[in-house]
Parts: sequence; C-alpha cells; structure tokens
Amino acid sequence: MEKKLNLTLKIWRQKGPQAQGRLVTYPVQGVSTDASFLEMLDVLNEELLKKGEEPVAFDHDCREGICGMCSLMINGQTHGPDRETTTCQLHMRRFKDGDTIVIEPWRAKSFPILKDLVVDRTAFDRVIAAGGYASVNVGNAQDANCILVGKESADRAMDAAACIGCGACVASCKNASAMLFVAAKVTHFAELPQGQPERYKRAQAMVAQMDAEGFGGCTNTYECEAACPAGIQVTTIAKLNREYLKSSFAYAEESKSSEGEG
Amino acid sequence: MGWLRLLGKEYLLNWLIKALGSSIGRKFVMGLTGLLLIGFVIVHLAGNLLLYVGIEDYNNYAHALHSKPGLVLVAEIGLLALFLAHILIAVGITRENRAARPEGYQMRRSKQNRTAATPSALMFVSGAILLGFILLHLADFRFHLRNPGPDGEEPFAKALRLLQDPVSAGVYFVGSLFLGWHLVHGFQSVFQTLGWNHPKYTPLIKKAGVALAVVLALGFASFPVWAMLKKYGVQL
Repeated sequence: MEKKLNLTLKIWRQKGPQAQGRLVTYPVQGVSTDASFLEMLDVLNEELLKKGEEPVAFDHDCREGICGMCSLMINGQTHGPDRETTTCQLHMRRFKDGDTIVIEPWRAKSFPILKDLVVDRTAFDRVIAAGGYASVNVGNAQDANCILVGKESADRAMDAAACIGCGACVASCKNASAMLFVAAKVTHFAELPQGQPERYKRAQAMVAQMDAEGFGGCTNTYECEAACPAGIQVTTIAKLNREYLKSSFAYAEESKSSEGEG
Repeated sequence: MGWLRLLGKEYLLNWLIKALGSSIGRKFVMGLTGLLLIGFVIVHLAGNLLLYVGIEDYNNYAHALHSKPGLVLVAEIGLLALFLAHILIAVGITRENRAARPEGYQMRRSKQNRTAATPSALMFVSGAILLGFILLHLADFRFHLRNPGPDGEEPFAKALRLLQDPVSAGVYFVGSLFLGWHLVHGFQSVFQTLGWNHPKYTPLIKKAGVALAVVLALGFASFPVWAMLKKYGVQL
C-alpha cells in the first residue's frame, strides 16, 4: 500500500569539475513509497525549478537496471542498501518516514566529478577501447550450434557479460580499483571461442590501460562483489590474474619489424 | 630505475619488467614473497618450540644452525631480499591506492556484513607494526644492540634473558598477535592473487589460513609469556 514519506536529503552539490563541493540539505515532503529513488530526485528537482533554483544533476537513462548510467552513493553504499540492485531499481519503500539520506557521487581520481552527482566514467570506455572487443569481422551470425560452446563456459561468459559498466566496483573499493570491471570483460571474452584470437593481447592491453587511468590496485577486500548490481563475482578477478600471468609469459607480442613478409 | 631499463635492453627482459611492474605483477611478487616468508616463520616457530623440549635440544639446534656461517649468510641475504621486496612493494602500492581516491566520502558503509576493522582493510597498518617488532627482534637477537650478554652465552640462556626484558616481552607479545592478524588476510589472499580461486579449494584455503594464523600467533606469543612466568618464579 502506498504511503507518504517525509525525508531529509543531504546531497553533494558541486557547480563544476574545479568547483568546491559541499553537502546541501533539502527537506522533501510526501514522497510516495512506490516511487523509485530517481523519481524521488525528479520530484525534488521539480520543486527546485519552481523555486528558481538549479536542479540536482544526476546520471540516468533506461531506469530498468540494464544500462549502467545511474550511480549514486546512498548513505555510504553504492546504489543504496539492496544487493544486486541499481539506484533506478531502488524504491522508496526501503526507507522510513523521517529518514535522512546522504547522496554522494562516485569518488575516484579516474572518475572526476563533472557536476553535482555526475562523474566522468570515460576511463572505462578507454579500457574497453584498449582491447574489450573482438576485432575480427565474421559476417552474419551463424546458426546457433555451428560454434560449440561448453555449458560451463557459456555460463561463466554470460555471468561476466552481465556487467553494465556502472562503476560501483570502483566507487566501493577502498583503493578505487577497477579490477572487477576489467576482470568481467576479460573473462567474458576468454570463455568464448570468438575471444580466443586476441585473448592474451586483450588481457595485456586492458590491464595496461587500467593502470594508465590511475585506478588503484586490488587488495582482495571483495567490497566490489558486494557492491556490484550485476552480481559479478571475484572469481573473475582470479581469472584475470591468471590471464595476465599467462599472457605475460606465453604471449609473443607482434614484432614491430616485418621481416620477409609481403 | 635506470639500471632496470638497461637490464631490460641488454638482456631482452623488457616484457618481464613490464609485467612485474604492473599493478597485477607487483601483487604477484607481493604474494609470492609473503608466502615464502610464511614458510620461514613456520620453520622459525618449529625451532623456537624446542625451548619447551629442553635446554640441550634448543642449544644443539641453535649451534647446528650456526655451524655453517656461509649458509647463514646466504639465508640472511635471501630473507632480507624477501622482506625488502615485500615492504617496498607494499609502500608503493599503498601510496598509489591512496592516490586513486584523493577526496573521500562523507559517509561510508560496507555492503559486506562486517565492520571496517577487518584484517584485509588494515594490512599496511598491521604490516608496519610487524616491521617494528621485527626490527626490535633483530636488534635484540641478531645485532645485540640492546641488553648485550656475556661472551660465550648459550642460546637457551640468551633467549630466556632477552625475553625477560619487559619492553621486548610486551612488543613480542603484541607483535605476534599482529602476525596472526596479518596472515588471516595474507595467506588466503595470495591464492586469489595468483589466480587460484576454485570452489573446491578456496573455502579450505580460507579456513587453513585462519588456523595457520592462530597457531603462529599463539605459538610466538607464548614465548614472552613463558619467559616472564619463569622470571617471577611460577613453576611450569
């Protein structure tokens, strides 16, 4: 049954990347328990607009939990208190009347704040561009059973492919490490036949880009696994470690000189 | 690091230097040196436990260990290299990890069912405390900087005398407990870092790591307690 909540929001407001930010308190009245967390922010923003104030900037897109655009540190937890739930799928019935909710952006050197709760996550795009793809064009999709994939491999690849790239792993990690994200992408490809030709090059290139972006290292604290809205497991990080070790010792980098070719 | 680059050029080991210099590569070295150091501490505890077997047995063991100065030197250099690698990488990694989040959160709450004071969150702190303990231990037993004993003192008498120093006894007791604290996370963490996460073995490794940490912590912590009890005339 729908109920109405009166809440106190403490929201991080920051005018721009270089500006000094601070928590600003906003009381909100009559929030429906059926509203999603983002709808609650929409209501707040409409009120702010009516008063002639600048609305709170926050990232969102599909609002179905699949696009990875929404973020938010809610009371110190990525995507709020629920497990395997994005902020857009978090509902106000999870909160009690009179609650104070602290809302902050993801914080990492590699995710600079653009405005209020919006951060720049293009560091992830650059990690993907470094090797998170299969570059061989194979034409139209073949019949489903032409390429045989073991059930367990398919399961592991699909589990890893569930990553929506939201950045909660980085945001929750005490080291702001991107290992879970990179591990999900590397595992996804390493488990499938289409990923084999560039398997070792990929592990090397993506880890090198991850390091270059200034993310921290993994100290096996596993906060990322608890924070991940897509349920990516830290076994993928062990897999990435394995892939990196193997590729370091076994992968022969392409020679820069092309002796005797052509 | 100039000499490293030269080594890379001269001996075609650029790929190895690149791999071991990466965030994951340094964790490999961290884990491997940690595992080797655990091996050393296990042997060290086994040797120390001879204190409880008998004065003769302990003295004979100590004399046998030191009967080949060349081997002792090699072992000491090896241990020093392991410690230095482990510590230097820890300092480097910790600095980078702190720099990866220049501005922290106003509010922070774990989604795991635990508090902030877990072994994994405090590896650098427990490691630093351990280092202090080890330095005091070396000053006492290896370099004889504090409480130097008479010439020709037998190993058992020396150990008992040094362990009865109240400062040493206190530091050794606390340091031993932090060794256990450090290893609760450290031991199982090595396997994840090396990529050995498996549904059949990982739960066992975690339990074995805790058991090993408890045995080592209580084992080492028992020596200062034993020495102090002896000092105040408690019959054992």
